Amino acid sequence: MKITKKIITKIEGEATLKLYKKDSLIEFAEIEFWQYRGMEEYLKNRNYMDACVINPRICGICGHSHLIATSKAIENALNIKITKKAKILREITLGLEIIQNHIKWFYITLYPSVKEINYFKALEFSREIAKIIALIAGQFPHNSYAVPGGVTCDLTNLEIIKVKNFLSKMFDKYQEIIDINGKSEDLEILFEDIPKETGKGINKFLVLGDNLYFKSNGNAEFIKEEDSISLNKNVLYKGSFYEVGPLARNLENYLIKKVYEKYQDSIYTRIFARLYEVNLIFQYLLKRIDEIDINEKNYIKPTKKSGKGVGIVEAPRGSLIHQIEIEDEKIKSYNIIVPTQFNLSNGTKESPSPAQASLIGEYEKQSDLIFKCFDICAVCVSH
Amino acid sequence: MHSKPKVFWIDAVGCNGCSHSFFNYPEIKELLNKVELLYHPLLPSPEFKVQKSDILIIEGALKTTYFPRLDFNLVELISELVKLSKKVILLGTCSVYGGMFGEGVLFNKQKEGKFFEFKEKMIALPGCPPHPEWIAYVIEMLVENKNILLDKENRPKEIYSYTSHMGCLRNEYFEWKIDALDFGTKEGCLFYLQGCQGPFTHSSCNRILWNEVNSKPRAGTPCFGCTEKEFPKKNLFKTETFMGIPADIPLGVSKRAYLTIAGIAKSLKNDRLNKRLIDENN
Amino acid sequence: MSKEVKKLEIMKTALNLFAQNGFYTTTIADIAKEMEMSVGNMYNYFHSKESLAKELLIYTSKIFGDEIKKINDMNVSTEEKIKEIVKLYFNMAKEEPELVDYFMRVYLSNKEIFSNGCEGMLCVSAFVTEIMIFFEEGVKKKELKNQDFFAAFGLFMGYIGGLAFLFREGILGKNLDEYIEPVSENIYNALKA
Repeated sequence: MKITKKIITKIEGEATLKLYKKDSLIEFAEIEFWQYRGMEEYLKNRNYMDACVINPRICGICGHSHLIATSKAIENALNIKITKKAKILREITLGLEIIQNHIKWFYITLYPSVKEINYFKALEFSREIAKIIALIAGQFPHNSYAVPGGVTCDLTNLEIIKVKNFLSKMFDKYQEIIDINGKSEDLEILFEDIPKETGKGINKFLVLGDNLYFKSNGNAEFIKEEDSISLNKNVLYKGSFYEVGPLARNLENYLIKKVYEKYQDSIYTRIFARLYEVNLIFQYLLKRIDEIDINEKNYIKPTKKSGKGVGIVEAPRGSLIHQIEIEDEKIKSYNIIVPTQFNLSNGTKESPSPAQASLIGEYEKQSDLIFKCFDICAVCVSH
Repeated sequence: MHSKPKVFWIDAVGCNGCSHSFFNYPEIKELLNKVELLYHPLLPSPEFKVQKSDILIIEGALKTTYFPRLDFNLVELISELVKLSKKVILLGTCSVYGGMFGEGVLFNKQKEGKFFEFKEKMIALPGCPPHPEWIAYVIEMLVENKNILLDKENRPKEIYSYTSHMGCLRNEYFEWKIDALDFGTKEGCLFYLQGCQGPFTHSSCNRILWNEVNSKPRAGTPCFGCTEKEFPKKNLFKTETFMGIPADIPLGVSKRAYLTIAGIAKSLKNDRLNKRLIDENN
Repeated sequence: MSKEVKKLEIMKTALNLFAQNGFYTTTIADIAKEMEMSVGNMYNYFHSKESLAKELLIYTSKIFGDEIKKINDMNVSTEEKIKEIVKLYFNMAKEEPELVDYFMRVYLSNKEIFSNGCEGMLCVSAFVTEIMIFFEEGVKKKELKNQDFFAAFGLFMGYIGGLAFLFREGILGKNLDEYIEPVSENIYNALKA
């Protein structure tokens, strides 16, 4: 048996992949993360509001999901209800963060590991998406407009109309990448020389968040973190590994289901689900924005000062969990579980994690692509 | 210039937010066409290799404990790269001062940092994240071999001579000392109750706007002073006061002068601004 | 005699008359008579009794402000500064009772005449600003407790103002000087960190 160790870059951060091979086929894989930033410790003893500034900075590409998860965790701990208007605005900005993430991932992270591509069209697209977020939240990346109790902004109809028209325009534009019928030229070109059945996972899916149109199929109470071979922790649900992310949360969509039935949980299905999800989010947001009642309050001041809470969102890469304990407005403990931990846990040959399973039995030359299909956020992992 | 300047972009301990901020620069394609990108942590670039560069861009902070990057110990890698570069752009508060993740390359919060001896070739661009136009401005100036006026902390004066208060839409409320009592209102200044650090934060956010359309205070979020040494301070949504007097006051005035003008402004009620800005009843 | 000096003299005279006869009963004609001026000439200096009252307020506030600034600039502890302020105030109450009287009684009890152009801190800012600086520095040096400004201001000024009032009414059993020490101590104990 031969072991190859390689550092995977051009993801958010870096990961070390140890491949155990027989002939040129991968027999087993280990995934290591050796960076640690100590975010949870950094939060301790601070006023809970500070988490709304610190946590977005966990990640430059999906920090907004961390912000929303933070506010939800605090709201859960302090028994705060927010208005429908605040909820819809958060859905829009979070949905848009997922969109900018997917398009960058496809053209900047994934594509260049197989073929050359003009990635500037992706940047142009994501820049416009970031602009819509900024119209509501002030800026992107790293805003803090979603605070426990609602949102800080107070939009007029002018901005709402602008956001809506912008959404329609970008939805139209997105059809060039993958249309509503699932046709995507760039995706087919990517798979010209790659079998679509490559990289099957463990075929077990978990959705814990219920933002946007996503439906949870589990309960975060059954989540357990355990030490792993490197600094990242394994995440298990009821004692088993599960795949989280766009494929997991979109299996009810008939188009995605059709692809899934044909190729199971292969890299093709995974990529297709992620790309196509953008269309579904656009459609959902265009519907939701019409439900905004401009006269509703943006913010309701919290009254409780202590409590324990959990905030869960479906972030770009899957279920993201924040757990907080507040004592007299101060953070007593904080725990963050990120989607990449679910997908990239380290299991055994007999019971591998989704990423391990998808690598096993494949050729080494495909490992980069297979691995990156999970849209790894090493930055988030090393929180 | 005969050949394009070689740019090496390395990520230290951070969140990649500086890169993602830069990605929002509208003319990014034109800008990147003017340079030869030797390495970037996210964008397609040639294989990683420690080498000479004309411009080294460092994103992220340093950790004193072992932190691996591309099979190196981070601090050793940075040391190599800094020595091999002609100019260094310290991108973001982490890289300049340390921010929340560690020590900066040039400074360690208030003190001198590990690579202070290379100050002469460094340009500091603090901000969490720095504005894409700031990054583009510095790269362009260096590409064109133009002189960048720097302040004592090696920050470009054309950016950091401004405060983020300049151009804030809530300026009228600041003038008349009308405070926002809660989040989620168009009305009111965020300085006194919500912790806004705009009047003493060096940055041009409200002058050039974020993503070309907005800024945090315009969206009702206080400025957190993310370009400053001590970012992130504690109690970011609360203004520190001593007996009701703000601990930090606008740059350039004495406390006495500020209190006099603030007291007078508060005494003279501005009727228009004391009401809701848009209200069906008035 | 310059116009400014003359104005000051009129103000001092007015202060005396207000103290003797009360603010409301004193007229511009009374002040003119005391100054041995014609009423017409008086109007060259002040358009009305209200404008005279406002200028007087600015004047007295500046006197207090300037004195407190000197105390603020001293390199002593906050406890010492409290004593200095109390001493200053009690000395004023003794030596320039009409001034203190005006500041306390006319300004605080006749707010309506100051509603046009002398609202809030407008005419007393010289005084209030220095008091703010005093408190702020005390808290910053961790010698005073950090609390609401008016909660501290009221305790300090209300207390010494009350004693000055009792003194003026002849109710105090002892000389005002003898109260400097215990009053300062009480204030410090109430406000200290």
